[in-house]
Amino acid sequence: MNHEILKTSEIRFLLGEQEVNIDFSVSNYKPTTTLLQYLRSLPDRKSVKEGCAEGDCGACTVVFAEIKGNALKYKAVNSCIVFLASVHGKQILTVEDLGKGKHLHPIQEAMVEEDAGQCGFCTPGFTMSIFGLYKNNNEPEKSDIETALSGNLCRCTGYRPILDAAERACIYKGMDKFTGKEHQIFQQLTEIKSNKEILFLKTEQNQYYLPFSLSDLLHLKKENPHALLAGGTSDIALRVTKKKENLPLIIDISQLDELKTISKNDNIMFFGAGCSLEDVRIACEKEFPSLFSILSVFGSLPVRNNATISGNIGSASPISDTLPVLMALDASLEIQNIHGKREQKIEDFIVGYRKTTLSSDEIITRIKIPFQDKNNILKSYKVSKRRDLDISTVNAGFMLNINNRGLVESIKLVYGGMAAFTKRATQTEKSLLNKEWCRENVENALKNIQNDFSPISDARAGAEARQLLAENLLLKFWNETRI
Amino acid sequence: MKIFHESAAYHVSGKAVYIDDIQVSDQILNGYLYTSPYAHAKILKFDLSEARKTNGVSAILSYRDLPGENQMGPIVHDEPVLAEKSVEFIGQAIFLIAAQTEEAALEAKKKISIEFEELPAVTTLKQGIEQNSFLQAQRKIEIGNTEKALKETKNTLSGEIEIGGQEHWYLETQVCLCVPGEGMEMKAYASTQNPAETQAIIAEVLGVSKHQIEVETRRLGGAFGGKETQGNHVAAWAAVLANHTKRPVKVRLQRDEDQKITGKRHPFLIKYTAGYNDEGLIEAVDLELFANAGYATDLTMAVLERAMMHAENAYFIPNMRIIGKPVKTNLPSNTAFRGFGGPQGMIGIETIIDIVARKLQKDSAEIRFKNLYGIHDKNITPYGQKVENNRLFMLYEQLVKSSEYQMRRKDVERYNAQNEFSKRGLAMTPVKFGISFTTAFLNQAGALVNLYTDGSVLLNHGGVEMGQGLHTKMQQIAALEFGIDIDLVKVNATNTSKVPNTSPTAASSGTDLNGMAVKIAVDKLKARLAKVAVKKLAELQQGLNFVEEDIVFEKNAVFSSKYSDLKIGFQQIVNAAWLERESLSATGFYSTPGVHFDRTEGKGQPFFYFAFGMAVTEVEIDVLTGQHHVLRADILHDAGESLNRSIDIGQVEGAYVQGLGWVTSEEMKYDTKGNLLNHSPDTYKIPGVRDIPQIFNVKLLEGAPNPTTIRKSKAVGEPPFMLAISAYMALRDAVSAVGNHKLEPDLQLPATNEWIVLACRKLRNMLMC
Ligand SMILES: Cc1cc2nc3c(=O)[nH]c(=O)nc-3n(C[C@H](O)[C@H](O)[C@H](O)COP(=O)(O)OP(=O)(O)OC[C@H]3O[C@@H](n4cnc5c(N)ncnc54)[C@H](O)[C@@H]3O)c2cc1C
Ligand code: FES
Ligand code: FES
Repeated sequence: MNHEILKTSEIRFLLGEQEVNIDFSVSNYKPTTTLLQYLRSLPDRKSVKEGCAEGDCGACTVVFAEIKGNALKYKAVNSCIVFLASVHGKQILTVEDLGKGKHLHPIQEAMVEEDAGQCGFCTPGFTMSIFGLYKNNNEPEKSDIETALSGNLCRCTGYRPILDAAERACIYKGMDKFTGKEHQIFQQLTEIKSNKEILFLKTEQNQYYLPFSLSDLLHLKKENPHALLAGGTSDIALRVTKKKENLPLIIDISQLDELKTISKNDNIMFFGAGCSLEDVRIACEKEFPSLFSILSVFGSLPVRNNATISGNIGSASPISDTLPVLMALDASLEIQNIHGKREQKIEDFIVGYRKTTLSSDEIITRIKIPFQDKNNILKSYKVSKRRDLDISTVNAGFMLNINNRGLVESIKLVYGGMAAFTKRATQTEKSLLNKEWCRENVENALKNIQNDFSPISDARAGAEARQLLAENLLLKFWNETRI
Repeated sequence: MKIFHESAAYHVSGKAVYIDDIQVSDQILNGYLYTSPYAHAKILKFDLSEARKTNGVSAILSYRDLPGENQMGPIVHDEPVLAEKSVEFIGQAIFLIAAQTEEAALEAKKKISIEFEELPAVTTLKQGIEQNSFLQAQRKIEIGNTEKALKETKNTLSGEIEIGGQEHWYLETQVCLCVPGEGMEMKAYASTQNPAETQAIIAEVLGVSKHQIEVETRRLGGAFGGKETQGNHVAAWAAVLANHTKRPVKVRLQRDEDQKITGKRHPFLIKYTAGYNDEGLIEAVDLELFANAGYATDLTMAVLERAMMHAENAYFIPNMRIIGKPVKTNLPSNTAFRGFGGPQGMIGIETIIDIVARKLQKDSAEIRFKNLYGIHDKNITPYGQKVENNRLFMLYEQLVKSSEYQMRRKDVERYNAQNEFSKRGLAMTPVKFGISFTTAFLNQAGALVNLYTDGSVLLNHGGVEMGQGLHTKMQQIAALEFGIDIDLVKVNATNTSKVPNTSPTAASSGTDLNGMAVKIAVDKLKARLAKVAVKKLAELQQGLNFVEEDIVFEKNAVFSSKYSDLKIGFQQIVNAAWLERESLSATGFYSTPGVHFDRTEGKGQPFFYFAFGMAVTEVEIDVLTGQHHVLRADILHDAGESLNRSIDIGQVEGAYVQGLGWVTSEEMKYDTKGNLLNHSPDTYKIPGVRDIPQIFNVKLLEGAPNPTTIRKSKAVGEPPFMLAISAYMALRDAVSAVGNHKLEPDLQLPATNEWIVLACRKLRNMLMC
């Protein structure tokens, strides 16, 4: 591929109803300027607030409308951890868009009437999270509302009036001023997305590629082996907002619809690498409840809406929430470069602290999870200080198979947060093989955990608590699966 | 009719303007800090010359460049604006940078050359106590003869409890925009609970008179005490930079910076000895309260004092000695936080009662009830004030019923007997909270009310709107007193040039003080309008006898109560008064009568009245993970005759949930060097939407007007925070169930999942032995 032909340094998107073109070769923005920074630089989008710049408070929540299949789909995201370049082809909505002339949107009205804002600083973010719910779920239950608000912090109200406002607003079943305009927005976004040529966004300090096909992506990765891949950017954006790094070379995979498919055959379920964690969560509820349950406490809804499954695997973090359960499920990855495909068990893929076997020209394209033997019992656990929007102190994915003699035929005990990377407790596993699955044996076995791991103390918890938690999770697993 | 928050429509539509939203000219610069990496060090030398050459950087200032005093401590002058010879905590400001972009400032920071010599530092409360590192002499309050009573009492217990700090986590971080005017003028848009003090500090730092400085505060994006003094710092820094560059400068702390360098709720260590009889009556309590002040005084002495004055909470204790000691450490100076020491103070006595109940194998609610302050006797506090208008029994009776306490106690016991790895706990705790600044002179407020000839009202008062609904209540009071529609009244941004020399909006006193000041100003205007009304009514209907005393203001009209058919519209009367050359502008001033406190004696009448509340909380813990759920909370709170029920309920709920954070998940962890480890929401966890009680019944006490306050209401900002102590006690109850309530749970505060799981293990191990 020849760089000369990559001339487009421009992205296009809708801000409210207005089409916006940003030409990075002339604008003051960088492709890695966050959407939050961009919106706050505008005179009429000040509702979007910065509370943390790391995806942890929701003050910056906006809603994206984007094409999914043949419909327009709405989702709430944290604008502080989204790069401006990645909003190409989307519609961005903020509270400024909700009202109609002097009239407030039903959500805004409900927020006013329930006294759901005190200092008001969190209010626009909550309103947009509720808007995301409003457009997606016509009859939300309490737990759906809580899920929708899982990414928003309020320090003033104690949440009750906000929950009430959300419930009250949703009686309108998603109808509002946007309903009639969806067709037109769909057309506009389709037109923007009809261009399938790689967008190359270049500034003095940054090069940012937006490919639209897998073959372009693989070529780009080959030519730019040092380029950082961007999925949902929830991991890498923090390097910009928190560590103040400049990320000079990025290949953004978020425009590739090819990587967002979910399918299955008799034995395996396939998840495209670019699938959002929320899409994975919804798709796996029946087939893999253990994955579903860990994803339900993964970050918050806005984080899951944008973050990808491959990003969680690719970052190879020791406290990644999907890795333990994926390993317990014996999942593998399909990995491609320009020359072809390879496949590898996730367990073998992770080789150290944030280290994988991926070579610089490769990308993860699919995650393959085998359907389980009917005797396999799977569970996942996450221990964190707070239920939602917290990183695990310790997490785990366990698989147990008990044979017809009542003995442990096979067992996998995979832990996160206990070592530099997600790891099996091999000695503990060994001590349980061919044993009866009873309390005494389990209690004896868990003494081995201290041989399997020597955890550290950090901002989340001390080593002593981690060790204890790892033991206790096994006991908990036994308690929940006892015969 | 329900009155909504005065800014609600702006909040939801993004039209509410916070400081960072103010549109300023392109000339604006951003201010950044260069801070200390050491908890304690000498500054040997520094050189800014290279850094000053950085592109896009307009100024880099050290203490040498300050035009006025290098001090920004609110009471004691012990906080330099910029460090001089030494630094005393990690994050202390040393240099200020004004730059166009953050990148430029970061570039400049790299080029700053500075040398330190690290010195020994005190980074924990316990170290400070061991090393006798005290900020000031201890304080004491005592009633009865504690030593003697402790010797004579049947049972005694003693121990200590460590209470962690708490980060305010206002959503809007500290921010101030300073715009230089002509000559020495400076206008500061500051996110501060105390515009008058911010004004004073800017004036001192710039070396100019206060009349040159105007501070304006429209609204705060949350404060909770965190902007009572801490807002002054960014304001001082912005002012210095704006003054130096002669351009508008904004200093806005980023979240991590804010969490690292600003003061927090004081961590406390409480050492206690208590004596009690077999019935569970507490006969004597000896307490030592150690407050971790941080490196400077700030509000520590007042916080400590309030902790001491709440150390007996709602209980009559005939013999009680409370010693308070402020410990100086090399941490950011701790500060006001909702409850202002009250919560820490109460934890001591509530823990004692919890232990007594377990020792006597009785329900803790029973022990609490027995020890409550009496109505006719047993009603003198350790500092000598009588507890009047005691609502504790009303609250207890109603809440025991509505919360189904007795039945649920049995349910909890049954549940615990049936579950090994899951335990439930239940607790009921009271709150008695003294209302007034304990520093008596602060109990004053002013208002300026302007009437315009179209009948509209512009209200200025000294209080700051930070979400608590103060402006809404002020607007309501003015509208009610004038008898006009609420939308005729607009509340102005708080501004030091409108109402001068005000007290901070703190101590829950905003409504009590400013509301009275507003009423007094409105009354003055009404008297003037009544004079005109008498004349105008007489002109309308000759022969009738109109007197000013009979004039009534109601439903946007003015009339005589004797001849109520004859009405003049409010707007007409205002306009008529203007034509009659009456002044349509009035100030109101109020000071709380009778409050005083003698610090050396430890006696006085520090509070105008007490606010009361009670809560029952039920929790469930997972013994194996330490994670918990709050299953249900029932709250009954005394807000007098509520001025605005919805707003008051909002205060109660919000305070309780904030308190839940303090007692459960909000833990501050430091390394041995004094670095705060959890300085962002990634690791510092305030309650989220799923952490609130699954069943949350919040009610205001009915039929209990407060005799002496504006419209018989009560302050409601802080008291309900301490209702969350019931959740902590419920957690202790649940953990103690692991040891069948025979063993004392070793539970820190906050009781994070980490401490809960460790405490459970301890009890399980002890059971096995
Ligand atoms: C507020 C917040 C909450 C969070 N909560 C959790 C949580 O509860 N549990 C948890 O485990 N994590 C959590 N995270 C971390 C993060 O969100 C996840 O790791 C997420 O899955 C990353 O996905 P992404 O698409 O956003 O990754 P990105 O930031 O886009 O990428 C992350 C890494 O993966 C690599 N990568 C991405 N796609 C591919 C690919 N196709 N092939 C090869 N490499 C690839 C990238 O190069 C990069 O190094 C949280 C993060 C934030 C900001
Ligand atoms: S600013 Fe806090 S989530 Fe974006
Ligand atoms: S209203 Fe203040 S943070 Fe939510």
